[in-house]
Amino acid sequence: MSEADDAGPILRVENLKKHFSTGSGVFDTVELDLSGGFPLKRSIEHVKAVDGVSFEIERGETLGLVGESGCGKSTLGRTILRLLQPTEGAIYFQGRNIAELDKGQLRRTRKDQQMIFQDPQSSLNPRMKVGPIVEEPMKAHDLYDKAGREERARELLEAVGLDPQHYNRYPHQFSGGQRQRINLARALSVDPDFIVCDEPTSALDASIQAQVLNTMRELQEEFNLTYLFISHDLSVIRHISDRVAVMYLGQIVELAEKEELFEDPKHPYTRSLLSAIPVPDPSQAGSRTILQGDVPDPVNPPSGCRFRTRCPELIPPDAYDLDDGEWAAVREFMRAVRRRAFDPDDRAAVESQFFDGVSLDGEPGAVVEDAIDHVLAAEWETATDLLTEAFAEQSICAQEEPAYELESDRSGTRFAACHLHRE
Amino acid sequence: MTTPLLSVENLQTQFETAEGTVRAVDGISFDVHEGETVGLVGESGAGKSVAISSVLRLVESPGEIVGGEIRFRGETLLSFEEGPNGERRQSPESLSNKEFRQRIRGREIATIFQDPMESLNPVFTIGSQLQEFIEINRELPPKDARDVAIETLREVDIPKPEDRFDDYPHEFSGGMRQRVLIAMAIACQPSLILADEPTTALDVTVEGQILNLVSDLQEEYGTSFVWVTHDLAVVADICDRVNVMYLGQMAEQADVHDLFDNTKHPYTEALLQSVPRPDKTVESLTPIEGVMPEAINPPSGCRFHPRCPDARAVCREVNPEPRNVSDTDTRHNAACVKHDAFDVDYEHSTPIQSEGDEFGEDLQVTEGSR
Repeated sequence: MSEADDAGPILRVENLKKHFSTGSGVFDTVELDLSGGFPLKRSIEHVKAVDGVSFEIERGETLGLVGESGCGKSTLGRTILRLLQPTEGAIYFQGRNIAELDKGQLRRTRKDQQMIFQDPQSSLNPRMKVGPIVEEPMKAHDLYDKAGREERARELLEAVGLDPQHYNRYPHQFSGGQRQRINLARALSVDPDFIVCDEPTSALDASIQAQVLNTMRELQEEFNLTYLFISHDLSVIRHISDRVAVMYLGQIVELAEKEELFEDPKHPYTRSLLSAIPVPDPSQAGSRTILQGDVPDPVNPPSGCRFRTRCPELIPPDAYDLDDGEWAAVREFMRAVRRRAFDPDDRAAVESQFFDGVSLDGEPGAVVEDAIDHVLAAEWETATDLLTEAFAEQSICAQEEPAYELESDRSGTRFAACHLHRE
Repeated sequence: MTTPLLSVENLQTQFETAEGTVRAVDGISFDVHEGETVGLVGESGAGKSVAISSVLRLVESPGEIVGGEIRFRGETLLSFEEGPNGERRQSPESLSNKEFRQRIRGREIATIFQDPMESLNPVFTIGSQLQEFIEINRELPPKDARDVAIETLREVDIPKPEDRFDDYPHEFSGGMRQRVLIAMAIACQPSLILADEPTTALDVTVEGQILNLVSDLQEEYGTSFVWVTHDLAVVADICDRVNVMYLGQMAEQADVHDLFDNTKHPYTEALLQSVPRPDKTVESLTPIEGVMPEAINPPSGCRFHPRCPDARAVCREVNPEPRNVSDTDTRHNAACVKHDAFDVDYEHSTPIQSEGDEFGEDLQVTEGSR
């Protein structure tokens, strides 16, 4: 470890990618292609679980990483520790690129990086006693002698809020919250600088979760720890983090200081997430606006901004001069056609359902008219393609990948991947 | 007061295990009225799911309903009487299992479970399962049942329902599967749906979609809901009235606004203090000390007293039934002797020292194997 780098961020991730190939066997990758030529084609599809992520974590801070299931947050957490081999990109940990380390060097950095998993049950060996579980990492890194390890294990058990007398008990004798404390003690045993916490409290009941979160905070101060805290729960993230990164479909869409992110979100996805969570206050009930649709397939993510297919604030194509009402009507119609959400009777009925009080002219009007013809002829696919090509694909959101550094009200800059912030 | 749609009185369900009798539900009472959504809240092990299964008669051996009365629209579904030898047995007014199955479950009282993968058969298509359910419960010929099934799928916002009809459960996402279960529940237009943590396994945006869908459907059909959850935020969002359970018993029962703004039970208060909030930054959480004891050997007196910040000596002796402690006309029940309604001289009782250390009383190791 080079001491000179102590001033910089503890971790800097640059354009990190982790792709998984979907085929597992020899024949999974072979596809029948009858379009001419040799009829067998080798095709490997890649799930782009993490696709070009860059950020920094400062010493002693907690960076919250939030996103829905399947967005790649756990993969990112594991790739940072090189539990998974990155496909591309660099991970500078205390100034050294650990993406390039060999096995032996990597093993030595493990002493400074630890991980805590979601399921406190399956991450503890049921046949081992708690004391030896906590000592295991010290043994692996050749720290202390036998007596020293035992002493430290007992100290750590006490530090995480367990009784040192429980050294000789088995994991099954503890409750879920206590097991997560054992995991904490084990992670701390090698005196790490950085801990990746992957949904550490998601499996716990509300009252127990609060106990564990409080303990994690106290330990952070006591042991001078840096956390990457991964969770799907925005309330927990808001409680524990200093800065927050929001992930969607393999990319970070927004990164900002906690208060700023929650009080003044700059990305439509963050806004949608925040408005979707129910609040434990009945006077605020029913004020939700909900994101429609599902997350797209990470094998073929949308071009440009990945959130555009569900974005409530999709930017209208510059080529047409549409006002807000017209653009909203077009998008509503496009969505309904894609989902076949209505039973069309005749043109007038369709027009009054979607374009009541809106008059489209010029090219957009002609496209919509065409699309209605196809819908009436039950050619839903053709209509969908027509509308997508003429409207959705023409938006800047579909054509350029967004990435904007914004002025922060608090300190320095914040990041939002949304074209609404273009100059 | 009109007759409640569902009324549960002093329900007791227990499980006989090698280690002893587990009183999972120990004498709870609650009502559900037409068109309302009633929350049943508590941490894991509180007995919420067992309560729901008991109403539906889905409790399996070694579990058994051993007491209480359940009425639906005034009709007795289940009651008990004293037998000739003083033992408790089901009274003759109780509906037989067969009658219950044919007349009540599915048609009048439907259910939505937490895990949609376990509730759907993986080897049959979504459509065929829904269609079968409609054929049996609405006695429709297959063709009509198919049309109803597709219509219902459209209603719960499944895109391209005609195409998706022949898909298998694994081809649906979690949120979509939960929609299918909702479709199945509403297909027979029941008057009551018992939902057991239906959104717990889902992402926030999907949960939001489902909650919106449920309130839309409720508006359309006037269906009543019992919503079982551990999530106070969901309760605040959709419930009209709330029942808070702790270790098999009712702690507090109130209108949702009263429950959050004028909390009367220390357990509810502690729960509210212990959850982080999405809408404001809470600097420090106040956790509830200790862990919920096991139902096999509940604490004497009030079951919450070992973890309760307001506990006094009298709490060790008296196990209070919920009583009305409201200052207004709306009923607000709390099972806590600190209220005057209980008259056990709480005022002069000595406070119990809390035994927790700085990390909370989590030190008590749960004994025995599980």
